[in-house]
Amino acid sequence: MKLPSLFRNKPLTQSRFRGPLRLVALLLLLVFSGYIYYLDVTIRDAFDGRKFALPARVYGRDLEVYPGLNLTRAQFLGEIKTLGYHENPEPDRPATYKNTLNGFDFTTRDFVFGDGPQPSQHLRVEFADGKVSLLQVRGSTDTDLPLLRMEPPLIGGIYPGHNEDRELVRLDQVPKMLTAALIATEDRKFYTHWGIDPRGIARALYKTVTGQRIEGGSTLTQQLVKNFFLTPERTLTRKANEVLMALLLELHYSKDEILETYLNEVFLGQDANRAIHGFGLASYFYFDRPLNRLEPQEIAMLVGMVKGPTVYDPRRHPELALKRRNVVLKEMAGQSVITQAQFVEARRKPLGVVKRAPSGTSPYPAFLQFVHLQLQRDYREEDLRSEGLRIFTTLDPFVQHEAEHALASRLTALERSHRLPANSLEGAVVVSTTQTGEIQAMVGGRDARYAGFNRAIDAQRQIGSLIKPIIYLTALEDPQHYTLITPLDDSPLVWSQPGTPDWKPNNYDRKFHGQVQLRTALAESYNVATARLGISLGVQGILDKLPLFGIQQQPPPFASSLLGAFGLSPVEVSQLYQTFADGGFRTPLRAIRTIVTADGKTLQRFPLNVEPVAPPGPVYLLTAALQGVVREGTAQSLSNWLPADLNVAGKTGTTDDLRDSWFAGYTGDRVAVVWVGRDDNTSTGLTGSSGAMTVWGEMMKNIQPVPLNPEMPDNVEMVNVGPVTGLRYDIGCKSGMMLPFIKGSAPTEISPCDTSAADVTAAKADAKAAAGKQDKGKKNWFQRLFN
Amino acid sequence: MKNIYAVIFVSAALLAGCAAVTPPPSAPVAGAAPGPAGITVKPVPNSAMSNNKAVIALLDQAQTDNGAGHRASADSSLERALRIEPRNPWLWHQLAQLRIDQGQYAQAITLARKSNSFAGNHSGVLAANWRLIGQARVAQGDSAGAEDAFKRAADFAQQDKAAQDPGLSLP
Repeated sequence: MKLPSLFRNKPLTQSRFRGPLRLVALLLLLVFSGYIYYLDVTIRDAFDGRKFALPARVYGRDLEVYPGLNLTRAQFLGEIKTLGYHENPEPDRPATYKNTLNGFDFTTRDFVFGDGPQPSQHLRVEFADGKVSLLQVRGSTDTDLPLLRMEPPLIGGIYPGHNEDRELVRLDQVPKMLTAALIATEDRKFYTHWGIDPRGIARALYKTVTGQRIEGGSTLTQQLVKNFFLTPERTLTRKANEVLMALLLELHYSKDEILETYLNEVFLGQDANRAIHGFGLASYFYFDRPLNRLEPQEIAMLVGMVKGPTVYDPRRHPELALKRRNVVLKEMAGQSVITQAQFVEARRKPLGVVKRAPSGTSPYPAFLQFVHLQLQRDYREEDLRSEGLRIFTTLDPFVQHEAEHALASRLTALERSHRLPANSLEGAVVVSTTQTGEIQAMVGGRDARYAGFNRAIDAQRQIGSLIKPIIYLTALEDPQHYTLITPLDDSPLVWSQPGTPDWKPNNYDRKFHGQVQLRTALAESYNVATARLGISLGVQGILDKLPLFGIQQQPPPFASSLLGAFGLSPVEVSQLYQTFADGGFRTPLRAIRTIVTADGKTLQRFPLNVEPVAPPGPVYLLTAALQGVVREGTAQSLSNWLPADLNVAGKTGTTDDLRDSWFAGYTGDRVAVVWVGRDDNTSTGLTGSSGAMTVWGEMMKNIQPVPLNPEMPDNVEMVNVGPVTGLRYDIGCKSGMMLPFIKGSAPTEISPCDTSAADVTAAKADAKAAAGKQDKGKKNWFQRLFN
Repeated sequence: MKNIYAVIFVSAALLAGCAAVTPPPSAPVAGAAPGPAGITVKPVPNSAMSNNKAVIALLDQAQTDNGAGHRASADSSLERALRIEPRNPWLWHQLAQLRIDQGQYAQAITLARKSNSFAGNHSGVLAANWRLIGQARVAQGDSAGAEDAFKRAADFAQQDKAAQDPGLSLP
């Protein structure tokens, strides 16, 4: 009886619960649909978010090679290595080179410059005495080439997403061999399945259930999904989600879109806290070369890493990586991706992974940040990150490396010699070209690879005496009252200004020097004489000049501003000195030359623009005085680094309590500014000359500076005067020194050449102190006289 | 009277230059335009503007591009030349000339002055620069300033002739 009743009961129950059950089923369906919808939105968001956006590519300067150029063999080798050339006994393929007796045979790449394409060329270059001695096109008969423009080095990118480092590639840029190898190894049915491989899943399930090792069995589509939501957990729910999302992806996107995204998304390694995503970036990370220049065995290694980027990390586990690579190669040969001959050859080759991976988004984060800031003025951020703009900049990797090296090595040496705690000093360097205002190097801190606080543009530090040339220039613009030998008063000064406490400037040596020549007051950086000069010329008038020289900020209108009691960044100081260096012509400092669209059209050029802001005559005199700073003033010890005949002009800057150490100076072709200090703005124990100047000298001596011999403007004349008395002597009188004067401003009356005068003592002391320097300096003035 | 002729002549020359329909013959640009009011100036070929073949090649390139109306390319070639010889006054002069062709007269004058700052006592390039400054001032409507510039150009041209400068000695 039980059973029938049971049977009887069932329909009863069914009828009783039919309504609610349906509701539950409906609800479940709804929830499930909602869930599918949620998955759909999630996966599409992820996919579209990663969809192809071309980052802006930033290039350094292109090296122009021509016979006679100052370039050593080693420098050239450094350049082609930066460009990713590799050695080959027959250097006829693009980006290959061969060492020859005196230089290199090599082949350049095709490259589309800002002003048009340049085809690949077979070339020969030779060097002698630190110069290029021969440049030829190799052919049946070799022909001389007047000029070669090398491809510019890629120095970074402005990437989509949250500053993720990507080297995005389009499917048509990816070598066919790579996609074929990937499909052969990972997912042979990729082009036919719906996103999942039921048999693969079944196999994986079986193995999981039977306790064998957990296997992937994933299609490329599933792997892509997995990559979007990388977490270590491996549960059935996850797997189910993965399957659903894979199916959804295939519904919405084409196979090629999925493959392209996969190629850019797949995780291929870890570099400290930076994840290496995508084959494009991995190619640089492991081989320092773009994807399209990889060889079969290199492609095989990358494809092999898909299976386990950590296990097969070629740097950590080279044997495993090599084994895995050869498995892939075999698979490739089996699937006819490569020929048997290619297989045999490729198998024999070593991994060929570069030793140290190029680190970070750019090796030159400070410079790149400056470029980015300039771009943000004219371009929308999203366009920079997605439109594939190509940005040609002025960075010279050679100068940059020397600047980085000089800063890092000198700071370490300074900490040691001054018994400062290690890594307590920081610094910044900016180097630009004198006549064209191009920034060749920018270092934002002693760890030049660190993309953090960029002291070259963000540190606003008191500039101290670096401001003084503006005051002296203002004086020299009034030749009726001021010449280089005008006596200035360096006796105690008290300056009262309403609203501020009395100001009593002091000299660095805590002494007063009485009457000193104007050029000496600048050379010795006497604060009191300078302050008095500035006050008599008018504080506001001088400060009002700063915008002319490219300094946008207004220092407080106090007399103390005359001694640099306000902050500027190193790059602002560079702009100021660029104008002095270039005869009073201001060229706004440039980091970008041209911006070209992805399809090669010039979007924007930044042509040379020049503004005359100070008359050439007084600027010439100022330069002579700043050369005096180096020859006989506060920067005398620069001679430990640089020969006197470079005639460097420069100025040291030291602020209260030795918080900031500055040096700004120029040669015939470069302007450079160095700041050294501490981030917490405490004392460094360094003056301008004991700190920053040593960095400046160390760097300059390695970048082949050109001597500073400016042309004398036609309203300037050279006159022989007493270095102390200021008396005018005959040209032949050895008691005097040749100094430039604005015509009509030199003393007119010629005094007899008195060999017992104070001048002689001064001249002798100078001669002793500076050995041959003085004579060379004189010779130059003479030479210019008769030029 | 003389000046009116000068102004008319130069304006015509400028207009012709701006039109840039005809590609220039192989004759060089700088100094080729006859000076106003009877100053004859010997044209300076590109090959005499530098001792560096790379620079000459870039000057030739700039000239070809400018002739074809490709001002931006010409600009780019001149800047490349300037990176090689940043203190060669002829190159700054050529850039000034290009700015005139681009209608940027104030910038042309500044660049000509900058060229002067590297010229030393080389009267040939000084003459060419002052003539160019004169042309730019004409275009700006500053006839008095133009007259003054042309006068200085004539003086330097005279000196240049007297010096029988065979070519140039680059600074």
